[in-house]
Amino acid sequence: MSERPTFSPHWHRVAATKPRLRPHVQMTRQRYRGRRWHVAHDPASNKFYRLSPVSHEIVGLLDGVRTVEDAWKIVVEKHGDEAPTQPEVIQLVSNLYNSNLLSIEASPETEQLLRRQKDRLVKKVQGQALGIMYFRMKLFNPDGIISAVEPVLRPLIGRVGLAIWAAFILFTLSRLAGHTEALAGGFKDAIAPSNWGWLIAVYVLAKALHELGHGVICKRFGGQVPEFGTLLLVLVPSPYVDASACWGFASRWQRIAVGAGGMIFELFFAAIMAHVWLTTSPGMLMHQVAYNAMLTAGLSTVLFNANPLMRFDGYYILSDMLEIPNMMQRSFQHLQYLIQRYVYRLDDVTPPTTDRSEQVTLTIYGIGAMIYRVVLFVTISLYVMGKMFAIGLILAVWTAAAWFIMPVGKLVKWLSSGPKIAEHRGRVIATTLGLVALGAVLIGVIPMPDTRRGVGVVESELRSGVFIGETGFVRESLAYPGDAVEAGQAIVVLESPQLASQLAMARAQLAEFESIEREATATSPSAVGVARERVAAAKSAVAFLEKRAERLVVRAPHAGTFIGRDPHELIGQLASIGQVLGEVVDTDNVRIAAAMTQLEAAWLFDVGEKPRVAMRPVSRPGVVVKGDEIRAIDAGQAYLPHASLGFAGGGTIRTKQDDSSGLQAETAQFIVYVEPIANEDWHGVPGERVHLRFRLSAKPLAVQWVDRLHKLIQGRVQL
Amino acid sequence: MTTVDANLSRYHALFETVRSRRRALETLKGADQFVAWGALKLRQRRSRLVVLLEWATQVDSMAPEVRSLPETALDREIEELRGAFVRGRVNHGQVLRAMAVVREVASRATGEEAYVVQLAGALALVHGRIAEMVTGEGKTLTGSLAAPLLAWRHRHLHVFTTNDYLAERDEESRSRIYKRCGLTSGAIVQEQSPVERAGIYARSIVHGTPKQITADYLRDQIRMGRIDSAWAGWQRLGSEGPLVPGLQACLVDEADAVLIDEGVTPLIIARSRHEDELAPAYERAREIAGELEQDRHYLVDTLRKKVKLTAAGRAHLGAMVTDENWATARRAEELVRQALIAEHCYIRGRQYEIVDGRVVIVDEYTGRFLPDRSWEHGLHQSVEAKEELEVTADRETLARLSFQKFFRSYRFLCGMTGTAADSAGEMERVYGRPVTVIPTNKPVIRTQEPTRYFRGAEAKWSAIVERIRQEHDTGRPLLIGTRSVEASQLLSERLEVLGLKHSVLNAHHHEEEANLIARAGEPGAITVATNMAGRGTDIKLTPDSRRLGGLMVILTELHGARRVDRQFIGRAGRQGDPGGAAIFASLDDELVTRFVPRLGAWVAQRANYDELTGSRVATKVFALAQARSEGRDRRGRTQVMRQDDWVDRYMPG
Repeated sequence: MSERPTFSPHWHRVAATKPRLRPHVQMTRQRYRGRRWHVAHDPASNKFYRLSPVSHEIVGLLDGVRTVEDAWKIVVEKHGDEAPTQPEVIQLVSNLYNSNLLSIEASPETEQLLRRQKDRLVKKVQGQALGIMYFRMKLFNPDGIISAVEPVLRPLIGRVGLAIWAAFILFTLSRLAGHTEALAGGFKDAIAPSNWGWLIAVYVLAKALHELGHGVICKRFGGQVPEFGTLLLVLVPSPYVDASACWGFASRWQRIAVGAGGMIFELFFAAIMAHVWLTTSPGMLMHQVAYNAMLTAGLSTVLFNANPLMRFDGYYILSDMLEIPNMMQRSFQHLQYLIQRYVYRLDDVTPPTTDRSEQVTLTIYGIGAMIYRVVLFVTISLYVMGKMFAIGLILAVWTAAAWFIMPVGKLVKWLSSGPKIAEHRGRVIATTLGLVALGAVLIGVIPMPDTRRGVGVVESELRSGVFIGETGFVRESLAYPGDAVEAGQAIVVLESPQLASQLAMARAQLAEFESIEREATATSPSAVGVARERVAAAKSAVAFLEKRAERLVVRAPHAGTFIGRDPHELIGQLASIGQVLGEVVDTDNVRIAAAMTQLEAAWLFDVGEKPRVAMRPVSRPGVVVKGDEIRAIDAGQAYLPHASLGFAGGGTIRTKQDDSSGLQAETAQFIVYVEPIANEDWHGVPGERVHLRFRLSAKPLAVQWVDRLHKLIQGRVQL
Repeated sequence: MTTVDANLSRYHALFETVRSRRRALETLKGADQFVAWGALKLRQRRSRLVVLLEWATQVDSMAPEVRSLPETALDREIEELRGAFVRGRVNHGQVLRAMAVVREVASRATGEEAYVVQLAGALALVHGRIAEMVTGEGKTLTGSLAAPLLAWRHRHLHVFTTNDYLAERDEESRSRIYKRCGLTSGAIVQEQSPVERAGIYARSIVHGTPKQITADYLRDQIRMGRIDSAWAGWQRLGSEGPLVPGLQACLVDEADAVLIDEGVTPLIIARSRHEDELAPAYERAREIAGELEQDRHYLVDTLRKKVKLTAAGRAHLGAMVTDENWATARRAEELVRQALIAEHCYIRGRQYEIVDGRVVIVDEYTGRFLPDRSWEHGLHQSVEAKEELEVTADRETLARLSFQKFFRSYRFLCGMTGTAADSAGEMERVYGRPVTVIPTNKPVIRTQEPTRYFRGAEAKWSAIVERIRQEHDTGRPLLIGTRSVEASQLLSERLEVLGLKHSVLNAHHHEEEANLIARAGEPGAITVATNMAGRGTDIKLTPDSRRLGGLMVILTELHGARRVDRQFIGRAGRQGDPGGAAIFASLDDELVTRFVPRLGAWVAQRANYDELTGSRVATKVFALAQARSEGRDRRGRTQVMRQDDWVDRYMPG
């Protein structure tokens, strides 16, 4: 803990002043973790300032007649060590003063006022410039709209309303539960480019409702909503309202309600749309639009707004739930404190809070938010770079500057001239260099597994059709689709009364001819020749019929897996010769074919690279199959091995829009073949999708990253 | 003066004061700092040394013609130039011409003929630079060449130097030049009354120390309160105008001492608290502190002058502080800590002296008493309690002004010094003034001996005394520099024992200063002096002593900054005189024990001999200690600036 010196050399600047809170400042009492706090709110500038009870007492004593010195003395008299020290009072007074919450009898010097204005502007511009990933634009004051809507909804805002809402959502979910397949199936159509126009329209509507939700609830509990604007989130516009007035609410449930208001309204909208979707029939325009609305409103709420790791609704809700105001900032401060205290071993540092459980929460949240930021940054940058390289690059560099270079610069400055570490500068710098070196070794020297991913489809080199060999009624079915079958194993047994009687007749005839032949041998040798010929003819007729009868048992032509229609469905039906029953596929000799772009497959041509492959069939998520013998077929092959890899078939590769087969990729592809190693648990069924993981030889992460980035850029430059 | 004139000038003074207050600059940060630095570099190209010397030569070439002017013609010429300067309409030619004329005036008034390099120095000043001129190169003359031009142009010029003695001396010797140039002048010194001061400030050229003038300016600020226009001030103050009529132009002699060294401690104006009844608390805190054991109960950090209580110490303290009504636990700890700091970090004879039963602070850089100053927030009282003196009332700050801010409030700033190059970066960064090194007129023929290092203080002092005796036997005058009053007294005792006749110049003897200095150059003189003799002091050699090898300077300790050492050594070998210098330092010196205690102790332990001269390790230890000391002061100054900025930006009022 750092010392708290009683006196400040600058005390004289405030001691004799007689400030007082500006008359319009509103004070509300809030409780956080069982402790009382006071929030000063200036509705004019929408500024907030949180005060501890003792600070609040001082501010209360400042009535414009009493001097700061006197107020301080009163508080010291009363609270002893609990009372703020002179530096703390100065901090308090200057903070309030600079937030325009405190007025001081004499007019402030004009220069100071102007400079403050300028500082604010500069800060705002800087903030905007650094945060191009979320650029704010104020549009208008939505108070008119909100004031019009709020009285209508007022009776519903409360417990009853919430209960109705919850019931409605649950009811909707239960209705939707029966239509999961249709729900999943619609997704493909919804994200098809042709639908984007509708998506955008519905998105705007849903988000407008969302913001209206915040606004109305905020208004309901007495807050003002002075600003509506649009936020360019990674260049995607999304509307916002300024509902920060809710920070002044005394009840935390009201604050939570405002935070959740957007999602409540949006989910309600999604639920209504779900019912529309359920009642309309496929093919109707309304059906598709409702689906879109459900998708955007429902999904974006859950994925985006509810996420507490960015400063969206979820963050504010969580922060109020945990009763930790300013959670993001304070968790970073806390991490900073932890590093200073335990990594740099500085003893003159103060944590932002002394509450144990709050510290734990801040630590967990801080680390989570950090990791999330980095991951989000990398994915978004790479994604945008993949789409629009130049813009992505600018965005990445810019954000890197804001998120990484600035903190590093601050660190360097702190190391070189931070007054707190003046005494241990050598040690602190050594520690930092040690950590940097450790990081460099981890990233740049120690080999790490290098894996690349892809999606493939099972292909078989040997596959035969299973046909009905003889017309007959299906009597029995001995295999199901997907069963492994041996060569010659019966799959379906048919019966043909006609054939049976023909065979019986032929057999009877043969018996007759044989007896005639025996007679002739004994009685008239001249007739023997003829009789033998007849026997032979009859025998061949029997043999022919027997063969046909044998074909009533449909057998697997070779070992493999039987696929096709389930023959059990055919029992009792007449099946005519030549009818296709299914296929037997040689599953011992399947291969996986994956399509990759030139860039994705570039590592294949690295000299000396012998990747190991692991595959996870989509149908059997738990199973891992190994593979080897990787071969790649020339670039320029614009046909995919299977339609399921393409965009049209639900895959990830863009296919040409005019191609009805869904096989023609937009860009040149490499076809990569992998031989799976036989595995008891899984027999690849042709057409099945498989996730591939290529494990290349281990190399340091830095090499891997440079390699990937290099290839990415190389690909772009060629374009 | 008529009433109208008086009112007019008072109103003008108010106006200028308000303007000066508003002029305070902000410290630039980040990219702005780079840009400003680049702009400065670009601008200063116009007045590089080569250019300055070129101009100086041109001025010099006007000499024969100016010299031949009769007195009346010279006066007419002065009047013309003055008019042009006052109106602010001067071209480059006129500046050079004015320089030539003032040079001639100086020559006629004092008989000193400025050299070309001095002209270059003066031109550098006129162009707002910091001129580095080797000590003893006649900076006083250089300054007096530039001063009239600046006073004409800016109406009021403040000439700063480090102490009252120098201020008075310079003003006296220069006043004839100023007078001839149609300017009035005066010196502000400690003893003057406000009425006297007001009269002096009204003059065109005012000599003084930053402490005096800054304090007057700050008092004005207190009186003016928060007014932000001259009219409001007029209403409020009535006939009592400000003392200092605004900050317009200043010429800083010993610029590094004034601008840099002084920057560590801001000037504070305080008054005693009336209702202070804490005196017994300090005495009790001192008692309690006496019962605590070092290292067990508390840790002392001599470098930062801080004391930290251990857990055991805190527990012990808690047990003892029970019935004191003056103390909450934190406040008690604070007072006890302060008592411990007073005990361990403040030593009589170094940081302070006791004069007439009062604790008087000794200025670290100039070695002089600061009778009006006291340490803040009870430290002074703790020291008084420690010395068992009457505990005075704690003082309450009324206003505070850093020297950085004060000097940056001047519209025009220039300066000169013997040792600016060490701190050129800071001059540029803080004051936006570039440093130009002016070459010497005559080569320095001082013999500088390699620094002699010793393991312990005893060996060092023996060697010093031995050396003094040797040198004294040759009859050479000796100036022996000590770092503290304490050391000067110790050395004096030693010399006394050996029967060496000597005089001591330290803060206690400041009345005799002029006298002692005047005799210090005589053969056989031994003068033991603190830093008081370190700056600006001009020790005149007699022909005899010049023949004997000139003044020999012996420095008995290294100072916290190399600049200060160089300044002290610079007392010998002035203006081409012969001279010598020797430095003695030991691992027991405060410099080492404060800044590199562990390393110093380690080296001392490993050393085989008492004398470590020439040892690379020892040299490094001292270099490191000085670097740390300088770094510490630099940080202190940065801190002061930062606080200033913060206060200006965020504090009400």
